[in-house]
Amino acid sequence: MRMLEHVYLIPLIPLVASFIILLAAPEDPHSPMPLVGIAAIGWCLIQSVAIFYGAVIGSIHIPYQMDWSWFSFGATIGGKPFLYDMPIGVLIDGAAVVMLVVVCLVSFLVQVYSLGYMHGDPHFKRYYAYLSFFTAAMLGLVVSSNLLVTFCCWELVGFSSYILIGFWFERAEPAYAAKKAFITTKLGDLGLYVALLLIFSLVGSFQIPQIAQFVAQGYMPAGAATAIGLGLLCGAAGKSAQFPLFIWLPDAMEGPTPVSALIHAATMVAAGIYLVAKCYFIYAASPIAMFAVAWAGALTALLAATMAVVCYDIKRVLAFSTVSQLGFMMCALGCWGYTAGLFHLTTHAAFKALLFLCAGSVIHAVHTNDMRQMGNLSKKMPFTALATFVGTCAITGIPFLSGWYSKDMILEQVYEYDPHLFFILALSAVLTAFYMFRLVFLTFTGTERDLERYRHAHESPWTMTVPLGILAALSIFSGAYLSHNHLFERLVHFDPPAGLMPRMNVAPPGLGGIVFAAVACAILFSYRLYGRHDFRLAEDLKRRLAPVFNLLERRYYLDDSFLALVDLGDRTAKMAFWIDSEVIDRIFVDGWDLLAQLAAQLGQLFDALFIDRMVDETGGLSVSVGGALRWLIRRGMIQEYLLWTAAVLSTLAFLIAWR
Amino acid sequence: MIEAIAFYCMAAVALTGAVMVVTLRNTVHSALALGLSLAGVAGLFACLGADFLFAGQLLIYVGGIAILIIFAVMLLGRASNLHLRQINQQWAAALLVCAITGAGLWRLVGIFRHTSSSAPATATTRSIGLLMLGDYALPFELISLVLLAALLGAVFFSRKDIS
Amino acid sequence: MNLSLGHYLVLGAALFLIGLFGALTRRNVIGILMSIELMFNAANINLAAFNHYLHPGGVTGMTAALFVITVAAAEVVVGLALVLTIYRNSATAYVEDFHLLKG
Repeated sequence: MRMLEHVYLIPLIPLVASFIILLAAPEDPHSPMPLVGIAAIGWCLIQSVAIFYGAVIGSIHIPYQMDWSWFSFGATIGGKPFLYDMPIGVLIDGAAVVMLVVVCLVSFLVQVYSLGYMHGDPHFKRYYAYLSFFTAAMLGLVVSSNLLVTFCCWELVGFSSYILIGFWFERAEPAYAAKKAFITTKLGDLGLYVALLLIFSLVGSFQIPQIAQFVAQGYMPAGAATAIGLGLLCGAAGKSAQFPLFIWLPDAMEGPTPVSALIHAATMVAAGIYLVAKCYFIYAASPIAMFAVAWAGALTALLAATMAVVCYDIKRVLAFSTVSQLGFMMCALGCWGYTAGLFHLTTHAAFKALLFLCAGSVIHAVHTNDMRQMGNLSKKMPFTALATFVGTCAITGIPFLSGWYSKDMILEQVYEYDPHLFFILALSAVLTAFYMFRLVFLTFTGTERDLERYRHAHESPWTMTVPLGILAALSIFSGAYLSHNHLFERLVHFDPPAGLMPRMNVAPPGLGGIVFAAVACAILFSYRLYGRHDFRLAEDLKRRLAPVFNLLERRYYLDDSFLALVDLGDRTAKMAFWIDSEVIDRIFVDGWDLLAQLAAQLGQLFDALFIDRMVDETGGLSVSVGGALRWLIRRGMIQEYLLWTAAVLSTLAFLIAWR
Repeated sequence: MIEAIAFYCMAAVALTGAVMVVTLRNTVHSALALGLSLAGVAGLFACLGADFLFAGQLLIYVGGIAILIIFAVMLLGRASNLHLRQINQQWAAALLVCAITGAGLWRLVGIFRHTSSSAPATATTRSIGLLMLGDYALPFELISLVLLAALLGAVFFSRKDIS
Repeated sequence: MNLSLGHYLVLGAALFLIGLFGALTRRNVIGILMSIELMFNAANINLAAFNHYLHPGGVTGMTAALFVITVAAAEVVVGLALVLTIYRNSATAYVEDFHLLKG
């Protein structure tokens, strides 16, 4: 099979599937149409895995690029005609191979899982159409070789995210959250847009290889590289929920949980990371942009982790955790850890999707998001509890699970680049361990705090548990598999141009051990606070540190400040409207109107007094002339007429003859 | 030489007749002078070698129109009131108009002052006949229609009683 | 002494002017008609003269003159019929009495 040559099918098949699902059948809670979507993504998964396998054993050569001509246009710049060619094509490098597998796998599992989770929803069919559409857009983003197409897909995934967060738009919160997510990410996209414009104005092409070549040959000025890098970072911060644009992600949890797992944990939010990785050569040319990436990531990791500590909503904890982990990846990328960042992206996709799906399973059982109303659920849903525990261990970095490999890699890389960042990330990792185990303890151990809900709880159907099992297995083994013989590093790596790589510190041996010791302490502390039956210590702590807790629960007032910003915008708009309607309109529209009326009246006056009089006078003149002539030959004498005629004609004849 | 004498004689006849037409008080005399003038013009046609035109002029104008006018004058009865002026008050103005026209014509005539011809006169009747029934067949037929219309018109207007 | 085209044209012009003067001044309608005939004749002389001097051997000008004669005849016939009718109605032949057109 020529899997790689037909890689363009991967985004197209789910796209076709989504339209088939949307258009081919009427709305029905028990529609069989989702099977179409699952089949489509199933094929994509097979193809992706085949490509991945081929890349691993070396039977296919990457990077692979294939372009088809899309359109071209001419432009005259500075008097010289230029012809711009805009191809559309695929570019499959190591990162894309891995991303394809990640996206297809998570999408496939989520779609299977949704069969159980969304069963009986009145918009069951539409849900699958949206999922397929999202998958198509995301895959298009991954494979495209053209930044313009990437941008289109980028916006399409944003749009899919919007419609899926607001899937239950009948309720107010999802609609609000969808709006918030869309607008916040658009704020970031503004930077991305500017960056794209800059790239085209400098390079004259959106083809990634051409841009890379342009940068590699040193044509890109450092200032422009910085501006472009910061613009891209801005877009990535919006999409990947980095500081300070992460406020939309916790609210995005209003969407269906499988959607959160797919879009807001594994794939779409990774798109920002992927974009930065895709344009890594630009960051390599600009230390400032690189620095900004690193610090944005580190700040995000820490802030999100602290906020997760005080959260009681199971999905929001996971959302903050996602933000935090994305910060890890971003920080790794900013510290020249291209491989480390993408490795963490890969492993994170597996265990975070697992955790979300577990949370979905729990929510499916107890119909609430609040962890205070759960407890001791491991008795009722042992498989889910086990899967959650595996996922938690993976994200915490328990040795030999997938998260351990990737997080260790990141921490080592970051330490080599800048020890300050390392301490921030290490603290974040410790906090991660604390709040993740807090989640496990609150949900699955202790006493059942809400008997009503506890009694109704039950293990989920096989469509939901099987994906959990697969993801759990991946969370355990993928790290070991991918780091065996440096497999991932061979596949996904970035070769920095000579002389650009900064001088690195050397990580002391045993660094991982120290971090793990701290993590273990955090787990124990978490057990001390939440693992027992009484939470007195936790409550006591909360009371004593009330201001801090308050600050964290209010999310550092970032939401409020953004709302204030929005409010300010609102007021400004209102004021602008007032100015427009009361001042501009009054002066320039009404006043203009008045002026025009005045001018019209003046014109009318002029018309009546002058023009009309002229017309009248012309008529009057001919009347007068006629009258005078009548007086002259008033007697009706034929011969007089004849005489006049003869006189005129003879005069004319004379004049003509003697001319 | 003989041509010149003939021309001047005929010109004198035509002009004298014309002046008499315009100036004589008695309309009958005027009509007779008209006949004279027309005959002079016919002579001029002869001088120009236009034999058919000469014949036509004599037959139609002198023999037809002039006589018709004389009859008309007679039919009008009281028309020849000899005690009345036959020239109206605007004769001076008319003279001025004529002078201006004459000046203009003089200028035009000057162009052809020295154009002369030595072509011998030939019989033209045959050629005219061929032309009339050849190239000019349509105008010829049309003019016959005009004559018919004039005939009918004359009959219509001069009927005694229109009822 | 040789006759030129100018002689005939001068004669034609003179005849025309006399006719014009008559048409403008004669009070009698029949006098006016006669003057008009004079002008027609002047035109005919011109036509014949031009034919003779500029197109020797041609007959087109004469043919045109013949048409003019025909039209003149028709005109006279109709004109006289009108004059007779008017005279029958208003018992006058002087044009200054024909002032029906007076506005």
